[in-house]
Amino acid sequence: MTKRFGGLVATHDVSFTVERGEVVFIIGPNGAGKTTLFNLITGYLRPDAGVIRFRGLPIQGLPPYRITAMGVGRTFQIPKPLAHLSVVENVMLGAFLRAGTYAEAERRALEVLERLEMRELARVEAGSLPVASLKRLEVARALATGAELLLLDEVVAGLSPAEADAFVGILRRLPEMGVTAVGGVEHIMRVVVSIADRVIVLDHGTRLAAGRPEEVVRDPAVVEAYLGTKFARREEAP
Amino acid sequence: MSGGRRWLYAGSLAALLLLLLVPLGVQNAYYLEVLFRIFIFAALGLAWNLVGGYAGQLSLGHVAYFGVGAYAFTLLTLDLGWNPWLGVAGGVGFSLVAALVIGSITFRLRGPYFTLATIATAEILRLLVLNLQDFTRGAIGISTPPLFPGPSADRAFYLAAVLLAAVAYAFNLWADRSRFGYYLMAIREDEDTAMAVGVNPARTKLLALLPSAAITSLAGSLYASSFHYIQADYIFSIDISNQAAIVAMLGGAGTALGPVLGSVILTTASELFKEVFQTAHLLIYGILIILVVLFLPGGVIGFFGRRSRRRAQREPGPFAGSLSGEEGSPRHSSSSST
Repeated sequence: MTKRFGGLVATHDVSFTVERGEVVFIIGPNGAGKTTLFNLITGYLRPDAGVIRFRGLPIQGLPPYRITAMGVGRTFQIPKPLAHLSVVENVMLGAFLRAGTYAEAERRALEVLERLEMRELARVEAGSLPVASLKRLEVARALATGAELLLLDEVVAGLSPAEADAFVGILRRLPEMGVTAVGGVEHIMRVVVSIADRVIVLDHGTRLAAGRPEEVVRDPAVVEAYLGTKFARREEAP
Repeated sequence: MSGGRRWLYAGSLAALLLLLLVPLGVQNAYYLEVLFRIFIFAALGLAWNLVGGYAGQLSLGHVAYFGVGAYAFTLLTLDLGWNPWLGVAGGVGFSLVAALVIGSITFRLRGPYFTLATIATAEILRLLVLNLQDFTRGAIGISTPPLFPGPSADRAFYLAAVLLAAVAYAFNLWADRSRFGYYLMAIREDEDTAMAVGVNPARTKLLALLPSAAITSLAGSLYASSFHYIQADYIFSIDISNQAAIVAMLGGAGTALGPVLGSVILTTASELFKEVFQTAHLLIYGILIILVVLFLPGGVIGFFGRRSRRRAQREPGPFAGSLSGEEGSPRHSSSSST
């Protein structure tokens, strides 16, 4: 798919498929087109060209709330919780999509919090959470909508290295919950290489490489993009 | 939480019963009229609160539904010979149609543009009513039909206002604890996030405007009848839109109790100032509003509510891992000493 903003081509002919139960990372520096890609898939932007399918059905051009209802969840780069409500009430916001009553929504929300190991934060006011917990709350809210595919924009932005590792670890556990995960990160981190089924590297809006993480990190094009041509040649030499 | 909720419901019901008994003790027409105004404006504030408080859409054009309610009730009753109460219901019908039209135009806009558009639509209605003289008698105004004929009209108007405020209050309580209310709050916070949990913002805002407009319309009909006379310039006055918003914000926008509290404080205060300061009472009123906006951004409820919630939350330690940037934020600053 392709998206242009005026003369700027934000994503150019980027094409990929994610299989059910996979953990896939979209890797690319700031401005590579990750957020644009997520916004295209979740309906916040309309592609200028191309097709987006979810479970075989074309979804491009649908409004975001319809795409959410179909089972595509997302998190935002900057978490925006309902600050004066508690954590569980924030997660209920997502749960209401599939829950008929207030009590059922609360039960579903608590289940999700349990699975994400944040049950003890349930009654805390969301506005008082640190960034790491807010990001986790975003995941909980998206999971509570009953999402089967979860798109996580900027998985590690604003987190310390330890927090980032812990957060990326959450993605690994999503397939056990029946959820396919696609996360966006800026750099090829060790933890990403260790848990990803596949990675897709974006650069200036085009797909630079895609495949298993250990293959991609050796891809000359990727090495060149990240480290410069000198390193790319050195890699090839021996 | 649900225990506290049960007390809230029980307390609200007890308060309502008490308020319904007031006319047994208070016979003075002036006091009953002030009380009537307190609950009419409480109802207006509560109706406004669904759109302006919970959904965060700062409407300053709610007088549109107030005026349509007042005029439709009057004209349907006088000119078409409807039963007055049928006229009131007809007013609700017209207001709902107006809400659908105005809502689908103005809700496309956000922030200040939305607010300006709501003011404009209410002004357009005022000018229409003023100039369609064949229908509305224009600037001369009309005498309104009585809803409660007989000597105990004052008491009846008071009771009607209390019941209307109670219905509006019930809608607000429901918004506190329902999917619909949560969706409104999500829209207030961030429409992008709301869409990510499956909310259609345009439709949800319109759905909130409907009960809001209906209650506002009922208040308009009641007000028109109790005043015996209406004229476009004051029944469609922006002062009424402002009053609905201010009452809610003073008490605490986005809370069920806020507009009630706001109306009690504001209506009483403006009545007292009227006695003491004569025409200068509007000045005092204005200063009061500025003080509230500056020092009580969450309203009276926000001020006390926040303090009690902080106290409840202090022990667990959710702040332990919080980043340094969080500590300086105004949300926490005033509690750090205790």
